Amino acid sequence: MNVILIIVFAISLIYLSITERFPVYAGLIGLQGMLLFALSFIELTTITLATLLFVALETLVFKVVVVPYFLFRIIHKTGVARVHDKAVPGFYSLIIVTAGLLLSIVVAFSMQTAPTAILNFIVALFAVYTGLFLIISHRKIFSHLVGFLVIENAVLLLSMAIGSQMPMLINIGILLDIFVSVLILGIFVMRLKGHASELTQLKDD
Amino acid sequence: MGFFLAIVTALFFPGVILRVKSVASGRKGPGVMQPWYNIWVLLQKGSVISSTTSYVFRIAPAIYLSTILIVLLLVPFPGSPALFGFNGDFVLFAYLLALGKFFFIIGALDTGSSFEGMGANREALYSMLAEPAFFILFGTLALFTGHTSMAQIFGAFHFQGYNLFILGFIAVYLLVQIAMIENSRMPVDDAKTHLELTMVHEVMILDHSGFDLALIQIGTALKFAVYGGLISNFLLPEAYPFAVRVALYFLVQLFFAMLIGFLESFRARKKLAKNPQFIFTLSSIALIAFILVLLLAHKMIG
Amino acid sequence: MNSLPILLPVALSFLILVMPSRIRYCYSLALTVFIMLVTGIPAAWELFHPSGPVLVYHPGNGLGFIAITIDSLSAFFILVTNLTVFTGMLYSNGYLRPYRHTKSPAQLALHNFSFVWLYISMLGVLMLRDGFAFLIAWELMAVSSFMLILFEAEKRATLKIAVTYLIQMHVGLVLLVIAFLLCEAETGAMDFDALQGYFSNHPNRLLFFIFFAGFAIKAGFIPLHTWLPDAHPAAPSHVSAVMSGVMIKMGIYGIVRVLTYVQSDFFTIGMTILILSSLTGLLGVMMAIVQHDLKKLLAYHSIENIGIIGIGIGIGTLGIGLNNNFLIILGFTGGLLHILNHALFKPLLFFTAGSGFQAYHTRNLEHLGGVIRKMPQTAGLFLLGALSISGLPPFNGFVSEFLIYAGLVHGLSAGNVYQSIAFILVLVSLALIGGLAIFCFAKAFGVVFLGTNRNAPKHEISEAAAGMLIPQYLIAFLILLIGLAPMVFIAPVAGVIAAHFHAPSAPVVPDLIPVFKQTGIVGLLLFLITGFILFLRHRLLRNRPKKYAPTWGCGYVDTSPVQQYTGTSFAANFGELAQPVLRQKEDFKPIADSEIFPEKRSYAIHPVDIFRQGINKSIDFCMMGLKKIARLQTGDIQHYVLYAFVFILIIFALLYLKII
Repeated sequence: MNVILIIVFAISLIYLSITERFPVYAGLIGLQGMLLFALSFIELTTITLATLLFVALETLVFKVVVVPYFLFRIIHKTGVARVHDKAVPGFYSLIIVTAGLLLSIVVAFSMQTAPTAILNFIVALFAVYTGLFLIISHRKIFSHLVGFLVIENAVLLLSMAIGSQMPMLINIGILLDIFVSVLILGIFVMRLKGHASELTQLKDD
Repeated sequence: MGFFLAIVTALFFPGVILRVKSVASGRKGPGVMQPWYNIWVLLQKGSVISSTTSYVFRIAPAIYLSTILIVLLLVPFPGSPALFGFNGDFVLFAYLLALGKFFFIIGALDTGSSFEGMGANREALYSMLAEPAFFILFGTLALFTGHTSMAQIFGAFHFQGYNLFILGFIAVYLLVQIAMIENSRMPVDDAKTHLELTMVHEVMILDHSGFDLALIQIGTALKFAVYGGLISNFLLPEAYPFAVRVALYFLVQLFFAMLIGFLESFRARKKLAKNPQFIFTLSSIALIAFILVLLLAHKMIG
Repeated sequence: MNSLPILLPVALSFLILVMPSRIRYCYSLALTVFIMLVTGIPAAWELFHPSGPVLVYHPGNGLGFIAITIDSLSAFFILVTNLTVFTGMLYSNGYLRPYRHTKSPAQLALHNFSFVWLYISMLGVLMLRDGFAFLIAWELMAVSSFMLILFEAEKRATLKIAVTYLIQMHVGLVLLVIAFLLCEAETGAMDFDALQGYFSNHPNRLLFFIFFAGFAIKAGFIPLHTWLPDAHPAAPSHVSAVMSGVMIKMGIYGIVRVLTYVQSDFFTIGMTILILSSLTGLLGVMMAIVQHDLKKLLAYHSIENIGIIGIGIGIGTLGIGLNNNFLIILGFTGGLLHILNHALFKPLLFFTAGSGFQAYHTRNLEHLGGVIRKMPQTAGLFLLGALSISGLPPFNGFVSEFLIYAGLVHGLSAGNVYQSIAFILVLVSLALIGGLAIFCFAKAFGVVFLGTNRNAPKHEISEAAAGMLIPQYLIAFLILLIGLAPMVFIAPVAGVIAAHFHAPSAPVVPDLIPVFKQTGIVGLLLFLITGFILFLRHRLLRNRPKKYAPTWGCGYVDTSPVQQYTGTSFAANFGELAQPVLRQKEDFKPIADSEIFPEKRSYAIHPVDIFRQGINKSIDFCMMGLKKIARLQTGDIQHYVLYAFVFILIIFALLYLKII
C-alpha cells in the first residue's frame, strides 16, 4: 500500500515540474500532504500511539489544511494565476527532472541503502531535486515557496522510512513544518497584504 | 478470435464516442451506427483527385488500412494467444503502426498544400514523442513478467498485491493517453475544429475523398479497437470462462469508448506549443513504472 | 595457395591509366568483377563453412612474408564490400557520362584508377593481419578516397573539404600507429594476433580506447564525425555511396577485430561504446533533420546508423562480460547485420539522390519538389530506401533493429541495476532514433519528390538512364529478400560471432527462427492485403465518375508552388525543441527602427554543426596564440642571429645556476 502512495507522490512531482498555473501548484502540495498523512499510518507502526497520533494530526492540520489554504489565499489576494516567467522552457524542465529521477536512483543504489527504505529514499531524493529545480528555474517568489515546501515534504517522506527507529527525526521534520507554515506564510499573507503587487514583481528584472 | 471481436468492436466504437459527446453537450446525437452509414455512402462514391498528387497519394490509404488490419492480428485476446504472436512482437506492433503513419504523412505531403504539410509535420512529431513511452511500458512489462511476447506478458500479469495495482493503473493510463495521441484526439487536437491552422489528423485528410476517405475512417475506428484490445488484456483475468471473458471484453471496450467521449467533452485542447511537453510526460511516468519494476526485480520491495 | 590471383589485378589496375577512354570503363568493370570473384568465392566458402581452416594466400617468391588471410569475420565484410563496390561501379558509368565533356580524359582515368584502388585497399584492410601492412592499406584507403573526393576540385570548397578530410584521416592513422607501437613495445610483434598476448598481461582499457579512437574517426562516431557531412556531399554520388556504405564500416571492422582479443574490462568498454553510440545515433539523426542539402542529410543518417551498429556492438560486449550468450549473439549479430543492411539501403539512397542531382543540378531541398512526376522510378526506389532506413517492416532495416531490440529487452534483466538503467535509456534512444528517422525521411521524401516544383527548372528532365537504374533494382531486390527471409542471412552471421567470441550460437539461433518466420509471413500478408485493397479500389472506381481538380486551397485562388510546406518549415518545430543541440544560423539583417525606407533584404537559414563549430573555435583560439608567436619570425637574419645569441646567454645562465 505504501508503494502506491509513494509512486503517486513521484507522479505528482513530475506534474509539479511542468505545470504553469498556481492553483495547480497549491492543489498538488495539498495532494502530497494527504499522501504523507496516509503514509504516516502505514509506515510508522512501531512508535507509541501518542507520537503516531501527534505526527498524523500535525501532518493533517498543517500540510493538508493550513498550507494549501494560505496558498490559495495568496493566489486570491494577488490575483496571479499563471507563471509568466520561466528561465527554462517546459520541455527542457521535463527532461531535466526525468534525468533527476535517474540520478536519484543511481545515488540510492550506490549508497547501498537498506532494501526496506530504498523506495522512500529514491523518491525523497527525487523530490529534493525537483524542489531545488523549481527554485532555480522559476522567477516568481511563489514558485520558490512551493519549491521549499516540496523539499520539506521530501524530508518528511525520508524520515518516515526510518522513523520507526528514530522518532526524534520525525519531530524535527514536524518542527520544520510548523516553522514554514507559521513564519513564512503568516508573514506573507499578513505583512505583505498592502504590497500584493510586489509578489508578482519580486525577482523580476 | 481477437481479430473478429475487434472488428465487431470497431463497428460501434466511433458511434459510441460521438453519442457520448452529443449527450454530454445536451443534444440527442446521431445513432450509434451513423459513422458506418457514412462510410458505406463514401464507398459508393466516385473520387476527386488533386492534380498535384502522384501514385503515392493513391496507395497511402490502402497501406494505412492494411497495416492496422495486420496489427489486429497481433493483438492477443485475453486467454488465447494472438494469431501471429512471437517473442518481441510488440516491436513489430509499434513499427507496423509507424509504417501506416509514414504513408499517411507522405500521402498528405503529396498534395503540395501548406495546410496538409502543417498537419503532417505535427503528426510526425507527436507520434515520434509518444513512441518511447510505449517501448518503456513494454520493456517494463517484459522485465516484470520475464516474457517478451504480448500474449505471454498479459497471461503472466496477475493482480496480486498492491504493487500490481499501481503498475496496472499506470499501464492503462499510458495506453489510453497513447491511444488519444495516436488518433489525434483531445488534448492534443480537437477533432471538431476544422480550423486548418490547428488540426493534426483532420487536415491531413482534406484532399482524400470517396473510397480513400472511407478506408481512412475504417482504419481510425479499427485503431481505437486495437488499443481497446490491449487495455482489455490488462483488465481481464484469464480464469473466467470464455463467454464471460467475451462479455467483459465488450464491456471494457464500451467503457473505453465512453471514457474517450467524456474526455473529449470535458477537456480543453492544449496550446499546440505545449503538446510535446505533455506527450513526453508520458515517458517520464513510464520511467517511474520501470523503476518500480526494477526494484521489484531486485527484490527490494514487496 | 598461389598469390597470383591477388597480385595480378593489382598490377593490371595500373593499366587503367593508359587505357583509351572508350574501353576504359569496361576494363575497370571487368577488373572489379575479377577481384570480386577472386576474393568473394573464398570468402563465401569461409562464411558458410566456418569450421574450415582460415584460408591463407602465401606470397610468392621475393615478396616477403606478408600473409593474406580470410577468416569468417573478414569474409562477411569482404562480401559486403564486393556487393557495394559492384553496384557503385555499375552506377558510375551513367553518372559520369555528363562529365565526359567537362573533364579531361586524364582526370577521368585518375578517377577510375582511384576507385579501383579504394576497392583494393579496402580489401587489403580486411585481409591483412600484419600491423605494418594493415596501416599501409589504411593509408591507401585514405589517399584514394581523397583523390575521389577531389573529382570536382575546381571548386574551392571541395578542395578545402578534401584537405580537411585527409588531415582528419591522418589523425586517425597516428592514433592507430601509436596503438600498434604500444603493442609492439610490450610483445615484440606488430600484428593483430600479438594483441592476444598484450591483452592477457596488461590492462585492456587503455590500448582498446586508443584503437577505438583511431577507428572511430573513420567510422564517424560523434564527436569525431566532422569530416563526414562535408566529404559525402562534395564527392560524386557513387563515391559517396561506397564511402558511406563500406568505407566507414572499416572502422567498425577494426573495433570488432580488436574486441575479439580483449579479455577483461568488458563492463567499462561495453558501457562506453553503448553510451557513445546512443549519443551518436541521436545526435546524428537530430542534425540530419535540419539539413537542407539532400546529400548532407544522408551523410548525417550514416552517422546515425553507425550509432545503431555501435549499440549492437556495445550490447554484445556487455554480454561477453556477463557471459550471457543471448546478449552476445543478439547484440553482435544485430550490429553486423545492420552493416549489411546499411550497405544496401544507403548506396540506394545516394544513387537516387545522385540521379536527382544529375537531372535537376541542385541538391537543395528548397529548390526541388515534384520530382516524382518526371522520375517515378527513382522516386519509388528512394521511397524503398527511406522505408528501410527508418527500420519499418517488412524491409531489412527492421530485421537488424529488431535483433538489437531483442538484445536490449533481454539485457534489462541480465545485469546489475546500473546496467538496467543504461539499457532502458538506450531503449528509449533507439525508439526515438526510429521515430526521428521517420520524421526526417518523411520530410526528405515529401519535400523533394512530392508536391510541385518550387523552382521551375529551365531544362528538360527525364528519368535516369537504365544503366543507373539496374544496380538500384538489384539492391531493392536484396532489401526485400532480407526483409522477408532474414534467417538465410542471420544464420551465417551468428556463426561468425559464435566462432570469434567463443559463444555457442546453438541456444540462441533456433529461438529466432520462428520469430522471423512470423515476421516474414506478416510481411507477405502486408503485401497481399495491400494488393487486395488496391485491386478492390481499382475495380470499384473503374466505372465511377473521376474528377481531377487542384488541391484544396481553403478558398484561396491562384496558389503558387512556393506556398507549399518547405523542408525548413517541416523541420522547424523539431528544431525549436532541440534548440541547444541544433543551432541554426540566420543570414538576415533586421530592419532597424531608424530605417524609414528599408532596402531589399534576403533571408537565409543554415544549420550549424556544433561540434564543427567547437573545433573551429578551438582552432581559431590556437591560431591566435600562434599568430602572436609568429611575430618572432621577422624574416630579418640579424634578428635570428640575435635569437641565437640570447639562447647562448640563457644556457650560460642556467649552467651558472647549476640547473643543467
